[in-house]
Amino acid sequence: MSKTTITANGQTKNLSLEPRRLLADVLREDFRLSGVHIGCAHGACGACTVHVDGVPRLSCLTFAVQCDGAEINTVESLGGDDAHHLLQRAFREEHGLQCGYCTPGFLMTMAPYVEEMAAQDRMPEDAEIRHAMSGNICRCTGYQSIVAAVRLAITQRRNGESTQ
Amino acid sequence: MRPAPFSYHKAERLDQALALLAEFGEDARPIAGGQSLVPMMNLRLARPSHLVDINALDLDTIELRSDHLHIGALVRHERYARESLIAQHFPAFAEGVEWIGHPTIRRRGTLGGSISHADPTAELPALCVLLGAEIIAQSAEGSRRIPAAEFFISAYVTSLEAGEMVTGIDLPLPKGKSSGAFEEFAERSGDFAIISAGVTLEHDGRAITDARVVWSGVDLAPVMAERAGDLLRGKPLSAPEAEAAAQAMSAGITPLDDPMASAEFRHSLIVELTQRALTRACEKAMQAS
Repeated sequence: MSKTTITANGQTKNLSLEPRRLLADVLREDFRLSGVHIGCAHGACGACTVHVDGVPRLSCLTFAVQCDGAEINTVESLGGDDAHHLLQRAFREEHGLQCGYCTPGFLMTMAPYVEEMAAQDRMPEDAEIRHAMSGNICRCTGYQSIVAAVRLAITQRRNGESTQ
Repeated sequence: MRPAPFSYHKAERLDQALALLAEFGEDARPIAGGQSLVPMMNLRLARPSHLVDINALDLDTIELRSDHLHIGALVRHERYARESLIAQHFPAFAEGVEWIGHPTIRRRGTLGGSISHADPTAELPALCVLLGAEIIAQSAEGSRRIPAAEFFISAYVTSLEAGEMVTGIDLPLPKGKSSGAFEEFAERSGDFAIISAGVTLEHDGRAITDARVVWSGVDLAPVMAERAGDLLRGKPLSAPEAEAAAQAMSAGITPLDDPMASAEFRHSLIVELTQRALTRACEKAMQAS
């Protein structure tokens, strides 16, 4: 067992972990953050994407012991239980989800991308948006409505709307 | 699935990592980005008893060293695109690495990891063979340099020995004017390649003076087109007869035949992608001249 200190969504825990435990499982089981969804568990679907020190990372390809001292953010930290973050609202408006299983991964992958585009004050081509989210698989939407949601969020951020 | 149990060791320095790898031998694997190793562990295709975390090591330099470009093993894939030295000297490399995985994977995965994993369809092994890279392997005993053509033996099999790890690669700088391009076909963006083709050309501004072509997806390790130089030397950049050359150099090649793609389909892809890469490499050479 390895002593590991992890902070998730601002909550710090000192854990004694088996090295083989995936960050995704520790977030779900030890932190009770069920917004971390596990699809394929081998890096092909993107559903488990979280932020490690602010950067999107596949939590199924990360051992929790590797995150000693790291700050993790999950989808719960975006817009809380009522999912009020600007990108989440855009997904609702544009019908960017149906079953919702892949949605936390898409949101965590694309939220920093929306910020990056807003900072550059630039609307990317659809192909660029599709490339940015190419590591996330959705079986319901056909992606078109997710692209539309991302475009809406970028437009709103460029117009100065707050994410919250 | 979840990984089998293992012990975790975080190395702070190279000598410490090498000592751990020496101590545990075949039972140990270094882990950096984990974008290839952890899927293999999750699927229980790999069951190392010891993982040596090398992320803290100082192995992420990209720099010119006399007649070659050195790229450290811990350079993450997303960085290649920002390095002007790569774009300037190795256009085929710059194009090829754009095909690696997806953005989240590229942000984390490393050069050394991809090379050590040696997936038969991966871009970096093919690029190393194309560019005549030397792979630098270190162990507690010392260091050795392995030509890429001898490093990749089969699918997921390299000439690395127990206790060794890749610490970087050296790419020899082109001596004269050069160009290059890389083409790939996969079912979806970021998927494993079915076939990829990489090309490098040397030229005098008007005609090709030498050429190298590499394919992945043909066999279990990257394959060099043996006759590429003979077929292309002397051809004008403006009319390289790319299709005929691609046909001729792939004659007699029997690609893999598996549920993903038939040998016949793969062969058509080899010709088409080689032709496209050759044509673009010539176009780039003319624009630069």
